[in-house]
Amino acid sequence: MKRLGRVAQWVATLKAGQVWLRSSLGARLWLHACDQVGPNTRTFWRPNIDNRGRMVIGARVRLNSNWAPLELASGPGGVLEIGDNVFINYGSMISAQLHVRIGSNVMIGNYCIVADTETPGLGDLPHPSPVEPRAIDIGDGAWLAARVTVLPGARIGAGAVIAAGSVVAGDIPAGAVAGGIPARILRAG
Amino acid sequence: MGGGWEAVRSRYWLRACQSVGEQPRLTGRPTINPEGGQIRIGDRFRLASRPAPSHLVAGPGAILDIGDDVSIGTGAAIAAFEQVRIGSGTRIGPYVIIMDTNFHGAPGDQSVQHATRPVTIGNGCRIGSRVTITRGGSIGDGAEVLAGSVVSSAIPAGVCAGGARARIIGKAGELASRWDSAAASLPDLLMTTLGLDSPPDLDDEPVPAHVWSGDGVRNFLAALEDRLGVSMGDAAVREARSFADLAVAVQNVLSGRQRSEGRP
Repeated sequence: MKRLGRVAQWVATLKAGQVWLRSSLGARLWLHACDQVGPNTRTFWRPNIDNRGRMVIGARVRLNSNWAPLELASGPGGVLEIGDNVFINYGSMISAQLHVRIGSNVMIGNYCIVADTETPGLGDLPHPSPVEPRAIDIGDGAWLAARVTVLPGARIGAGAVIAAGSVVAGDIPAGAVAGGIPARILRAG
Repeated sequence: MGGGWEAVRSRYWLRACQSVGEQPRLTGRPTINPEGGQIRIGDRFRLASRPAPSHLVAGPGAILDIGDDVSIGTGAAIAAFEQVRIGSGTRIGPYVIIMDTNFHGAPGDQSVQHATRPVTIGNGCRIGSRVTITRGGSIGDGAEVLAGSVVSSAIPAGVCAGGARARIIGKAGELASRWDSAAASLPDLLMTTLGLDSPPDLDDEPVPAHVWSGDGVRNFLAALEDRLGVSMGDAAVREARSFADLAVAVQNVLSGRQRSEGRP
């Protein structure tokens, strides 16, 4: 019995090692197109990376693409910056045609859309948009719950929490809890 | 070379359509399923299917008609069981649902059958992310529907509509109008200055009389000037019957100021 327990423990260690190895090596491989990737950044399954501008990813970032792949895109001249220790969950789409900055320690839930243009993910359109892209800034330690849509020009302060399903337009002050369509402040910071 | 491959790929994924115009471009792999219906697509069609696949479906005898220069974001679900028309030059954001029924099952599933009502989207419309357009919804030419809205009735041409269900908020092109700063910070401002227990709902809450007299109004006006730089007369604020009226009044001052500063 004791022996069986040791075997189980050994198998668990082996599995953890396998996940670690696969996610670390995966990051090297899948984030190859990025301009800069910090140490200990890991990817779980394969994200879609479409870098036509500049893409900078910090240290200890975890990108989960299980169930639905995550998409990071930067257009020509666009800058996508992701700070240290950021976690982005599956199915989210982050698109920078101008500038999207995500601070350190940010958590982004599944199926979020953070895009500084109105029709992200379509590449260059033959019919130019009537509206200019507007930069997005997400402060350090902010938390976006599931299915949050961050519209062009939005600024989310450090440590703010955005409730699930919200649409963020305009400014959310630091430390506030906001939610709804459009997101309104539920509790001030 | 890349362009040639793209063209072949796009044609391949759109092969089930009745007609496809010039230069379609697709990313990812959509599901295009005309089950006995017709899907007609105009020139320079753009459809994204990454990270989430989009699908276009037309039921038996149904018509899904898409004009020229239409672009549709990722994860779109467009289903016609009678008729869905999308005008030329319309841009549609990611995760949009457009259907002329209220509910439908998987292909071949006949468990839910109710009357369909055609959906019509005009020319040059802008449909935001995660908008849902269900049966009977119609959107006039050049109108704008803000992210996360639900449309099941007629939206006139040239307006900006938003909310679930979508109401007219302003003119198209003034996207910022009520969705920007004022609407976002007003509830908090009202709560703190008027001493309310919770932030008021800007949609339909009437202004309670006891907070809307004396110090409350004065504190609110001072805070408004301090936080948003908006100076308003006592009379203009007292006329507001609801918090929604108040938000509109504040927004009018804000947008008036932006226009005089020459900002769009």
